[in-house]
Amino acid sequence: MGYPEYMNESLQMVEASRPRRVELSKQGLQNILKPLSAEGRHKVLSENHPDYQPDARKSIRVGINRGESMTGQVVDVLESYSRLPQGFRLEPLDYETDVLVIGGGGAGCMAANWARRGGAKVIISTKLRLGDANSMMSQGGMQAAINPHDSPLFHYLDAMGGGHFDNKPELMQVLTSEAPYIAKHLEELGVMWDRTPDGNLSTQAGGGGSRRRMLSARDYTGAEIMRVLRDEVRNFPEDILLLEYFPAVELLKDREGKVAGAVLFNMETGEYAVIKSKVVILTTGGFGRLHIKDFPTTNHYGATMDGVVMAYRAGAQLLHMDSVQFHPTGAIYPPQIFGFLITEKIRGMGGQPLNAKGELFVFPLEPRDVEASEYIQECKKGMGVPTPDGKVGVWLDSPIVEILHGQGIIERAFPAMFRQYRRFDIDIRKQPMLVYPTLHYQNGGVETDPNTHTNLPGLLVAGEVSGGVHGRNRLMGNSVLDYNVFGRRAGIEAARMAKETSSPQGLNLEHVASFESELKEAGVTRDRFAPVLLPEYRNISALEKHRQDFDPFLPAGL
Amino acid sequence: MNEPEKMDLITIYILSRQYHVPAGSTILTALEYAGFKLKKGVGCREGFCGACASLYRLQGDYKLHGGLGCATVVQPEMQIVQLPYTPAPKAIYHLEELEPVPEVFTHLYPELYRCLSCNTCTKICPQDLQVMDYIQAAVRGDLEQAADLSFDCIQCGLCSARCPAEITQFNVALLARRLVGRYLAKKGKYVEDRIKEVEASKFTAGYQELQDLSPEDLKKRYFERELNNLIF
Amino acid sequence: MIQIPYYPGCTLKNKASNFETSALAAARALGLELVELPRWNCCGAVFSLSSDDLMRHIAPTNIFLRVQEMNRDHLVEDEYRLVTFCSMCFNVLRRTNQRLRESLEDRNKINDFSYLETETYQGRVEIVHLLELLRSMGWDKIQERVHKPLTGLKVAPYYGCMLLRPKDVGIDDPERPTIQEELLRSLGAEPVDFPLKLRCCGSYQTVPDKDLVANLAYDILSRAQKAGAEAITTSCPLCAFNLDFRQKEIQEKYPMFLPIPVFYFSQLMAIAFGLPQEVFGLAGHYANPRTLLATKGYLQATSPLEGGEG
Repeated sequence: MGYPEYMNESLQMVEASRPRRVELSKQGLQNILKPLSAEGRHKVLSENHPDYQPDARKSIRVGINRGESMTGQVVDVLESYSRLPQGFRLEPLDYETDVLVIGGGGAGCMAANWARRGGAKVIISTKLRLGDANSMMSQGGMQAAINPHDSPLFHYLDAMGGGHFDNKPELMQVLTSEAPYIAKHLEELGVMWDRTPDGNLSTQAGGGGSRRRMLSARDYTGAEIMRVLRDEVRNFPEDILLLEYFPAVELLKDREGKVAGAVLFNMETGEYAVIKSKVVILTTGGFGRLHIKDFPTTNHYGATMDGVVMAYRAGAQLLHMDSVQFHPTGAIYPPQIFGFLITEKIRGMGGQPLNAKGELFVFPLEPRDVEASEYIQECKKGMGVPTPDGKVGVWLDSPIVEILHGQGIIERAFPAMFRQYRRFDIDIRKQPMLVYPTLHYQNGGVETDPNTHTNLPGLLVAGEVSGGVHGRNRLMGNSVLDYNVFGRRAGIEAARMAKETSSPQGLNLEHVASFESELKEAGVTRDRFAPVLLPEYRNISALEKHRQDFDPFLPAGL
Repeated sequence: MNEPEKMDLITIYILSRQYHVPAGSTILTALEYAGFKLKKGVGCREGFCGACASLYRLQGDYKLHGGLGCATVVQPEMQIVQLPYTPAPKAIYHLEELEPVPEVFTHLYPELYRCLSCNTCTKICPQDLQVMDYIQAAVRGDLEQAADLSFDCIQCGLCSARCPAEITQFNVALLARRLVGRYLAKKGKYVEDRIKEVEASKFTAGYQELQDLSPEDLKKRYFERELNNLIF
Repeated sequence: MIQIPYYPGCTLKNKASNFETSALAAARALGLELVELPRWNCCGAVFSLSSDDLMRHIAPTNIFLRVQEMNRDHLVEDEYRLVTFCSMCFNVLRRTNQRLRESLEDRNKINDFSYLETETYQGRVEIVHLLELLRSMGWDKIQERVHKPLTGLKVAPYYGCMLLRPKDVGIDDPERPTIQEELLRSLGAEPVDFPLKLRCCGSYQTVPDKDLVANLAYDILSRAQKAGAEAITTSCPLCAFNLDFRQKEIQEKYPMFLPIPVFYFSQLMAIAFGLPQEVFGLAGHYANPRTLLATKGYLQATSPLEGGEG
């Protein structure tokens, strides 16, 4: 396939400007293309970032955060009715356990492993397979302030500034001070971190960072960690029961109002299961498949904000749900990889964003919201490169990485990206990639504290579903760190709580009933249901040709 | 996602039934266009998770090909089936009780030694890995080479499904990698030194200081901080 | 230095690493640089030879192709001999090569199946056992390299099965072989002939039936001792294991049995050539070789506890 001929002129300009850009890079780009000041950031964000557009947000009419402004599509999904059929019976009970982990990604596996270590019996419910999560897909790295000239305090300051200072300080303190321990813990579990010749963990620069502290495992960092965490869960089949292809669709409470379990739903067979649990840990990840503002996404198929929906219905406090992270470098060509993540590590190792004329127009390592806004702005100015299917983007010059670090570095440090593009006859060692922002991360979520508690007794949260750690914009490498640090804390805390809790009594769905009355009062009709579970990508018009009222989840899709 | 009215449709076969789907579709988007709601055999959709392992044959070619549903573009007359899961033995072990020696495979995956060096696994791997070579490295007891060559494995299972010796290559590789990561990788001192400092509360006062700053002062401190990505 | 492709085989990288160390050093001392195939797989050991299962011949064929690749990549120049030391690997490789050379149909089938390879195999490679290579150099050349002749050392060369059988792949006369004796003489040692030098050591039966192997080994070793032998040589890691490590079981059954060290022929070469002591590989033995060698003056006298568990 390769690039279409009409892009050759622009590609040649990229090549022509490269030798000079190599020199600039060696001198240290921050001296030539300065990062933006606070005012500069605010300007480019308010003029270009999708969050700041007038129709981006609306006020939610129901629930504990009623009256607050949140992202439009988020409100639409939260203002919806339960998937459970009317008159759903919670008897008989199908499973009973100490700790129920909802969501089988990085946070879920960490939580399950540590809850088990604390002596708890654990059940993990997942929508797809164990490990099918955004955790498996992250590429470039995990932040940890391990170098001698770095400090957890620099890490803290970088992340607070990146998050617009909306981060809860105590959460960021925990995150940054526990990072070195997590690096070591993962190594002991068998994670093959990239290393320098003297055996120390290899570190790269990241957006919004003041020191190099991205640890990585090639550009399969997330996959390397996820494979290990998942394997570890599977090494304890007697203590951890895996319920795969069995997502939760509603939380349960006991007669004291504590969260005490969940109802699971099998999308293929239509079967339900009721689980009673002393503690529930929510690790359901993000919301990319809601395609906010019609953006493509880097997220996995099941990232549909299920956990936030269920928790909100149960009365959980949400934080920063007006903030959406768009990753600046999503692929836009060829169309088959539209929206796919291209790791920030490329820029961390010297890769440069360029406009159609091959010119540098932005400091490559701004925090993500600023960087994404800059690309949007450049394209709005007409300086982007159009694709055959009507999109527009900027170049991300990857060959320069090969020049700066030596031949072979791209295959060595970016095998995933190299392979992804090679499948379409583009050699990223020789040609740049075409990129544009893509929907990437849920900055906010269910509000939490350093011990992963929420305002609901019995409910803990960890990972992307939680809110407060990253403020209104997460830095690269802090999400992988987040799910490890807080996944572990959730597991430890859950095991401790389970020892002090007796078996819950009087499981009920009263919170759902009261939420639905609120909806009715607010004028929301009973035609919207959540959790969404899976996005709809079928050619619906063809399927609805002869009838309406199409339920995608009836067994056999009939 | 809506498709424009006029488009280039090609013929493919899903589970032997004929469908017409847009040219340029991947196996996954072709299935969805044909009306399948995928609840299995799909995961990250970007080539990292191995959920969408698929087998296909092309017109006029006897060979059986393996590919990822998210990354394989359909061609006219392609015959497709998904293989969302391959039953595979996963040995139960505790890393801290193992030693990084070849004997771990004798105990945990003895079928490894049935390898015929036939390359069937390499032929079907959608990541273009040298699967036979990493298995042979494991047979020889060279854990580091097995780990290095298998690193990009996404555990899709196609190798194991096709292997005449019935080896589960991806689980052998996972064990090799975990042993290398824990025991054989050369370790430097930076991490441990930093952990000791954290445990000794070296940074507590610093955090407190930053948290006591007024919002304006914190902002000022942030924007005036030194950026240096060159030192270690 | 003459460079020749070299195939190690799995065992020489693990349990029999002392065979490799001593042999590579001895070969280098004779001006032979044996270059390991950059990419190789297990030869399949004897299972490779089941004649009704052509698929099992793919493993050795891959190895022959790697020799071709070494030539293509100029790691060796126009050198299609492949040297190996382990008797099992030697037997498998030479027999498979013979089969492929004789059957165009089998060759075509395998080449067609292995379509990931960039070349086909047409029988060009020649499998050479290290002993054959030495013989072709001339025993006088070997003798010239000796600095510490093994004078007075009485060694019984043991052949086992794989070097000599079947007849058309063997490296010497299957009934009256002399190749190891010739080597030993060139090293200055005194070869001791004995009737059981061709008797099978029990091979893989050592796994399910230690007792059987202990008995076979006892017969072989005690016969050699009766003929005056102070040491045994062999060319096969499995024979070495059965004759050496099973002496533990022999001693339990026959308390009057005296331990006798078992060497790879290459180790005696390394000692006789006066090479550094590290390449002798004396740590990989059960029956302690050091006492004998020290008594004869080929080694510094050390504690009898070193270098062996027996």
